[in-house]
Amino acid sequence: MRPLLPLILFFTALLAVPAAQADDMSLTVKPVLCITDKRNPSCDMSFLVMWQSLATGYYCLFNDFGDAPVRCWSEEREGRLTDERNVQADFSYWMTGTDPEARLAQVDVEVLRMDSDDRRRKRRTRHVWDIN
Amino acid sequence: MIYRLSLLALLLAAQPAVAQEAPEEEEESKWRLGAALGYGERSNPLVQSDDIPIVVDLDIAWFGERWFFDNGDLGVTFADNSALTASVVARINSDRVFFGKTDTRFISLDLAGEPASQIVEFKPPDRDYALELGIEMLTDGDWGMLQVNAFHDVSGTHEGYELFANYSRGWRNQRLYIEPSFGVSYKSDKLNNYYWGVTPDEAGDIVDPYEASAGLNWHARFMIGYQLNRDWSLSLVAEYERLNDEAYASPIVEENGVFGWFAGLSRRF
Repeated sequence: MRPLLPLILFFTALLAVPAAQADDMSLTVKPVLCITDKRNPSCDMSFLVMWQSLATGYYCLFNDFGDAPVRCWSEEREGRLTDERNVQADFSYWMTGTDPEARLAQVDVEVLRMDSDDRRRKRRTRHVWDIN
Repeated sequence: MIYRLSLLALLLAAQPAVAQEAPEEEEESKWRLGAALGYGERSNPLVQSDDIPIVVDLDIAWFGERWFFDNGDLGVTFADNSALTASVVARINSDRVFFGKTDTRFISLDLAGEPASQIVEFKPPDRDYALELGIEMLTDGDWGMLQVNAFHDVSGTHEGYELFANYSRGWRNQRLYIEPSFGVSYKSDKLNNYYWGVTPDEAGDIVDPYEASAGLNWHARFMIGYQLNRDWSLSLVAEYERLNDEAYASPIVEENGVFGWFAGLSRRF
């Protein structure tokens, strides 16, 4: 069992949903990856955003889609919301406290383009190592 | 060894042309580098042979505006438009790989099951790699992708040719991607006979001389992938290639197809 422990820890870390935190704030977003291709150049996604703080207070959630906060919470130490977005490029969610310039936690959402305009990148080679 | 030297020669020959190309403005990297770690096998249709294990699968490719290198294939593209991409491609024939995994055995029966005159040492004959040059055409659309190749031996190894066609269509649902594909490959008589025939010099108590004519292989492949994050993905691939009847009838062939599979964790660099 012991030899498997590093592998288990590796895959756990690999699959973990990114959660950024600064001291007493944690922010979790699911999902964090949008995959596009020629047929689907953007993603219609429903993001579940969850935050938790050790201290009760005034907190706001922002993202790169606008200057105004997505939502603010008053006298709360945790919160969650669902945010529907059409995503075409990388962006971030972040939490602030009373100072909107100070980011307490941030999570990045990535857009991954999986195909290419270059047909040669999808050509099939027939060598023994070309099994996948 | 010949294969490696051929690759080196092709790469060296390509360098001046590659260096003259103007840098592209697009953000997509010219390199495609990847590695997959897992396990898989490719069966070997030859008698007295071992399956070919696959533990690490490397993907090394470079795509310039005209020149490209793709896992051993070297090409130069002479037409690229909205309808098709056409290139001249040099490659190493893949049939040779089976002959590198054969065993020597002492046997008293010939391969047809008849008693041999004496106990003799037998090993399937060896074959050389062939350097082939040909034309490749690619076209795609919402209907999928079609690849057509025509290759001819330029190394004097088998002096034959091969016509290859492959159709693939992929479907993606966010992280999940599946891609079935299938196609055919016509092997000329010279190519087929070089790899799967038995010359009078190679024949003996165990195998009779055999001359293979041209034949048509077909293949089907299924790939499923799951993207874990930007760089890592899980992949499962299974592929079956049915050998042509002329190859299967050879006394040094005991299986009529080649089955390969691989499952592993892949990383893009």
